[in-house]
Amino acid sequence: MIAILKRMFKTAWQGMKRNNWLTLACVAMMMLSLLIFSSTIIFNHLANSLVNTLKEKMDISLYFKTDVPEEDILKIRDELLANELIAKINYVSKEEALETFEERSKYNPTIQKALEVIGENPLAASLNIKAKNTTDYNQIIESIKNSAFQDKLITIDLTENQKIVSRVDTLARAIKIGSLAAIILLTFLSFVISFNTIRMAIYSLKEEIEIMKLVGGSNWFIRGPFLLEGILQGLFASLTTIIIFSLIILLLGARIENFIPGLGLSTYFWSHFWFILFLQTTFGIFLGIISSFWALNHYLKI
Amino acid sequence: MDSIRIVRINSHIYIDKIMSLVYFKNVSKSYNGSLILDNVTFTMETGEFVSLVGRSGVGKTTLLKMLIREELPTKGKIFFDDKEINKLKPNEIALLRRKIGVVFQDFKLLPDRTAFENVAFAMEVAGYPNEMIKKDVPEVLKLVNLQNKADNFPYQMSAGEKQRTVIARALIQRPELILADEPTGNLDPINSWDIIKLLVKINELGTAVMLATHDKEIVNTLGKRVISLENGKIIRDEQEGKYLI
Ligand SMILES: Nc1ncnc2c1ncn2[C@@H]1O[C@H](COP(=O)(O)OP(=O)(O)OP(=O)(O)O)[C@@H](O)[C@H]1O
Ligand SMILES: [Mg+2]
Repeated sequence: MIAILKRMFKTAWQGMKRNNWLTLACVAMMMLSLLIFSSTIIFNHLANSLVNTLKEKMDISLYFKTDVPEEDILKIRDELLANELIAKINYVSKEEALETFEERSKYNPTIQKALEVIGENPLAASLNIKAKNTTDYNQIIESIKNSAFQDKLITIDLTENQKIVSRVDTLARAIKIGSLAAIILLTFLSFVISFNTIRMAIYSLKEEIEIMKLVGGSNWFIRGPFLLEGILQGLFASLTTIIIFSLIILLLGARIENFIPGLGLSTYFWSHFWFILFLQTTFGIFLGIISSFWALNHYLKI
Repeated sequence: MDSIRIVRINSHIYIDKIMSLVYFKNVSKSYNGSLILDNVTFTMETGEFVSLVGRSGVGKTTLLKMLIREELPTKGKIFFDDKEINKLKPNEIALLRRKIGVVFQDFKLLPDRTAFENVAFAMEVAGYPNEMIKKDVPEVLKLVNLQNKADNFPYQMSAGEKQRTVIARALIQRPELILADEPTGNLDPINSWDIIKLLVKINELGTAVMLATHDKEIVNTLGKRVISLENGKIIRDEQEGKYLI
């Protein structure tokens, strides 16, 4: 068994060396498809997590007039919690609001001076409402506007992430479709080139194959080296791709992070290194096997 | 499966039992509509030596190719060792070809391998372990009297030596049958006789041999069974036959 495998490896390796330029072109082409393949996986994840963070940041803030007592606000909160569109309500008292405000304007002497001049807490208490579903915010706002406590409010504030979210969503979808098309095209090209390398390999071993058949070489022994060649192509392509990828992340990761803060590209890449390598290797080997199988069925009859 | 049936065809008596080594049953073969072999029936027993004669283009090579399933019959059935060749699965075809050694006029040796490696090749592709290859190949090379040429490449060997290498390769898997398709076609008379004597020796050691040839002298001197083909049919099949035209 080991002897057979060794012989297969030898034949496959010789085949790759014999058609070295074609093999190189084939590996390069596969590399390109794998590069796009893995980029799509990574991009897909990043876009999803970006949209999710944006969605999480969405909320409605109800600011209450300063003369509304705390018990009333808490009662309103309990009323609102009965609304099934609402997931969570957070009460921020006047004092808490002042605290965060002061904290935030620590380094702004003008604002601090202004606060001192006013002397009392000018900030409103508020309720921060999170909906179960991002699409429900408008409906919630409608129901608040029609509610009995409507006149106790100063303003209803919706953090308008919705538009950004949908814009990011659209953009992400467009890029996904684009890269899917690129994957299909590049995969097809890789397939064609790989198919042809295997065909050349079969062709240059014509004599050997004929004699192998004549002396009763088993089907797998005859086909094995070519399948192996396809597998090796996929494997080489995947390994070079991951090296290139790592280099890109190492060299450009920081810059990309500056450009889009909070993207977490490097973090995601390194924490999912094996996952990405596994997916991309599987895909590469799959591609190699399919191409050589196809070529064998075309050019190698028993 | 002991059923035995005796059939008379062309003044020859066939034993239509399942266990003949080779059994062609009403086999016809056409290429692109032109009939090459027409309803051919014969059997060959274990250990037999049969010469297949007929003029060029009569279909001798075609017949041999069907036996190793390189070609399929257009009609009829071919049995080897009780198995119908048309119905073999791919892995069984490989096994069939290990039981039938083939020798061709044009040798079919790999030019970048020595005599030893060419013979070893047949064992490699069948998955034999290296120790066995190292032990068996020199023995077979000795049998064909090539022990001194083991490390020669084909271009360093005479035609006769090349053909003996091919015979060694055909023998290495201990086949039940050797098919020799004009093995002397490229050889001078002296080398030809060496090869024929070698085939006879192999036959005496127990392997069946089917020799396709148009060398009249060889056939007539052999004094073995001769099957003569003409116009796609077996016109003669005699135990101590002569090559008559
Ligand atoms: N693959 C093929 N396609 C079409 N015709 C073929 C094919 N192989 C053989 N033939 C034809 O079949 C006939 C028999 O050929 P075959 O090679 O069996 O003859 P042969 O008896 O071996 O002749 P020779 O003594 O010259 O070797 C010939 O007319 C040949 O042209
Ligand atoms: Mg012929």
